[in-house]
Amino acid sequence: MLMEILIAVAVVSVIGAVLAALLTVSELFFRNYGPCEITINDEKKITVDGGIDLLSALVAEKIFIPSACGGRSTCGLCKVKVLEGSDLVLPTEEPHLSKEERENGIRLSCQVKIRNNLRIEIPEELFLVKEYETVVDKITDLTHDTKEFRFALKEPAEIRFTPGQYVQILTPKYGKSTEEVYRAYSMSSDAADKNAIELIIRLVPGGICTTYCFEQLKKGDSVKLNGPYGNFRLSDSDAPMIFIAGGSGMAPIKSLLYQMVREKISRKCTYFFGANKVKELFMRDLMEEFEKKLPNFKFVPVIAKPDANEKWDGETGLVTEAVRSAFQKASDCEAYLCGSPGMIDASIAVLKELGVTEDHIFYDKFA
Amino acid sequence: MKKTPRMQQVEEMLHSSQIVSGGFFGEDRRDLTEIIDRDTAQVTAGGSTPAELTTKMRKITSEAKKGLGMWVDLPDNRRARIDEAKGQLICPWPHPFRCDKRVTTLENQTTGESIIWTDLNIHLIEEHNFFEGKGSPFRIEPALLIRMLF
Repeated sequence: MLMEILIAVAVVSVIGAVLAALLTVSELFFRNYGPCEITINDEKKITVDGGIDLLSALVAEKIFIPSACGGRSTCGLCKVKVLEGSDLVLPTEEPHLSKEERENGIRLSCQVKIRNNLRIEIPEELFLVKEYETVVDKITDLTHDTKEFRFALKEPAEIRFTPGQYVQILTPKYGKSTEEVYRAYSMSSDAADKNAIELIIRLVPGGICTTYCFEQLKKGDSVKLNGPYGNFRLSDSDAPMIFIAGGSGMAPIKSLLYQMVREKISRKCTYFFGANKVKELFMRDLMEEFEKKLPNFKFVPVIAKPDANEKWDGETGLVTEAVRSAFQKASDCEAYLCGSPGMIDASIAVLKELGVTEDHIFYDKFA
Repeated sequence: MKKTPRMQQVEEMLHSSQIVSGGFFGEDRRDLTEIIDRDTAQVTAGGSTPAELTTKMRKITSEAKKGLGMWVDLPDNRRARIDEAKGQLICPWPHPFRCDKRVTTLENQTTGESIIWTDLNIHLIEEHNFFEGKGSPFRIEPALLIRMLF
């Protein structure tokens, strides 16, 4: 009886092992798509091993598509146009794609599995995106939860970017964070300062990258960045401008102000900057310098709720309310916004009330 | 208890880094059922229910959103703030649920205690009674949550 049971167990085990081996071997044959060719913008051709996702294949070729979620299909940033060779849009992509985008072949590159040759289209400017080996040159405390990081460029040693653009920081595995992730931050530096990149980063509770920057990074550490990305930039018009930012949203606005000084842009400009407390206001000296150098520039700090012991006779309340009370009408203005999605949505609502048309409101919704 | 294939599939997803870096289990070696049972028992012992907790969490998040990233004062010397990031989080259970990447910080200025949660935490507690594993960045201790909310 015992022998029969042992034989039965052995037979079942052998059958299981054979089936597992068959599955492994069949995967090697049937899921091996061989080399596949990707034609990019009908100009560049790359050959990759099939079976991997398009985003990884492009990154391996040093073609960087913005992505903030490490290929989990949660950020919706890595959009490319697939002209030929695409399979169906996956359910994971649907919430990130409009009907029009789906009809035009837009896909999330992290969700496109390469199984055959592909013909794709990406914005030309992404060919200019490079990966930068950098070293932390300086870390400046701005408030209790905001710091400015200065990264000296090593290889390549220079960056060319348009003020308002952003880079991505590669956060390596550390502590409980088990995989590399990229996170995007607007550059705060003067674009004329070609050998360094400055970023203003606010600590996000539980944030993978911000925790890494605040707790791990120190002067002299090596950091990989890639960029520049984004279309947030000053327009060529002469329209008066309203800048609205809060916290780390200061970054791209500071870069735009350097540009205005350098290029002697004399457009009328009012910058509303929101902070929680007076002690959380930063770079006031720098803003005063900009006010001296730019005769039509005015900096309006807005404190949400000053402490009783804080001396403050400036604007109080929400930054959006300060904008509303400063203008009766702003239909001739352009607005440049940087902050959290909620702050941007609230600002857009107020600006529209003041008559600013949607095509004159520019923003990058990055926290 | 023997795990159902569905439970096994969920556990694998919770351990993986597919949705959030490091997964939802942290350093917790217990299985999903045990985590859920222990945390639910703590909630009951604290005189509450997951539904009651999530109603209060959602209300605080909604209040904090009005601050546009600044602290918003709440009754009982508490304050709350929202931090937002681009993108969405998806539920690790096999059903369609997505939410914005939003972190609510609730601080009790009298005791100095604070707690953070994401919109996904609210869903996980409400729908799955899951407070995440110990050591996970967004683990919520039921006892602390009850102290902070009531």
